[in-house]
Amino acid sequence: MSLSESIGLALVGLGCVFYLAGTVGLLRFPDVFSRLHALTKADNLGLLLVCTGLAVLEASWRVALLLASIWLLGLLAATVSAYLIARHAHHAGAAGRPAAEGERP
Amino acid sequence: MTPELLVDVILAVGLVALSLRVVSGGELFRDIVVFIVFGLVVALSWARLGSPDLALAEAAIGAGVTGALMLMAYRRLASRSGGASGDRSRRLRLAAPVAVLAGTAVAIIGLAALGIDGASDSGGAAALAALPATGLGNPVTGVLLMFRGLDTLLELVVLLVVLLGAWAMMIPGPPPALHLVSRDTPLVAALLTIAAPLCVLVAVHLLVVGADEPGGAFQAGAVLAAGGVLLVLTGVLRPSREAGPVIRLAVLVGPAAFVVVGVSAMAFGRPVMELPGLWAVYLIETAMMISIAVTLSLLFGRSGGFRRGGP
Repeated sequence: MSLSESIGLALVGLGCVFYLAGTVGLLRFPDVFSRLHALTKADNLGLLLVCTGLAVLEASWRVALLLASIWLLGLLAATVSAYLIARHAHHAGAAGRPAAEGERP
Repeated sequence: MTPELLVDVILAVGLVALSLRVVSGGELFRDIVVFIVFGLVVALSWARLGSPDLALAEAAIGAGVTGALMLMAYRRLASRSGGASGDRSRRLRLAAPVAVLAGTAVAIIGLAALGIDGASDSGGAAALAALPATGLGNPVTGVLLMFRGLDTLLELVVLLVVLLGAWAMMIPGPPPALHLVSRDTPLVAALLTIAAPLCVLVAVHLLVVGADEPGGAFQAGAVLAAGGVLLVLTGVLRPSREAGPVIRLAVLVGPAAFVVVGVSAMAFGRPVMELPGLWAVYLIETAMMISIAVTLSLLFGRSGGFRRGGP
């Protein structure tokens, strides 16, 4: 295995760890805001790491550019949707209390 | 166990588990979310099976647009009846015969398929052999437009009939307010500024590459419809009761272009639905994309037409 391959695989693996952490946070954290916090932070970084790893593995500028735009789009969508969910929860008064079973933000 | 096999097993087990979860769940909202996840896993499975065209269509239409339609229907149900989960035993009485019938049908078809020996002279090999003569590189587009054009035309007609049915079922009165997300927040305005033109760009890209690579009118239409859904949700487009001439034209242009080009082949002594060349493929696919996008957006907005929303 070449050096660039191991770097790429390590980056993808690290990204998966961030995804796992974000998902555990989504499942285990008590209320809407901390869940959103876990999800958006961890997943944005996870997507960046996975995209970077794939770009290193592919070793092509065209693919790297495409992956970068995918990451930026994911960032944009995650930012706006998390903001809207948080605002809705804030207005609905779900701020302090733990989310009920099956509650949708 | 190789990694590939492991991924396949996870996908297969996930599909069965998710489908069970969709039909056995207690709460309607959760079932809809699980159904959307199910659609995404189906898309992944198609990608693993080497059918990127189907994967794209499933992700855009099966998970994306259908999910949005279901969530919208849930919203209306919930606002009408307070809670959308009806009497469980009554639902079971309805669902059980349907499930038994569907299961029997699948079993019969599956058993019948097992009994068929793969015919060596099936149409697939002939279609692949004839593909280079059409100038197309993507066999899926070749089958959809060149070899089995009538099927594709009828799919468009089905979509048109669905829209006419939805129009016929519309409840009189002012159209429902769909203005769910206010544009007063800078983030939503920024999202619109970037996402709406991007939807058009991606749709046109899918349409153009569809001749040689995965993509095509259905995928492009679904992406364009996603842009339409975004515009409806943010109130840029507001549902109106009456369909204006532009909307009527947009709904009809897909099937109409297909029929006109297909029938006019007769005037030149060629068989019906034989397309005269690549330009006809692009023309028909563009018209199809417009019709599919406008029809899906209208279904989402439960509306006859659209008018521009205020600021």
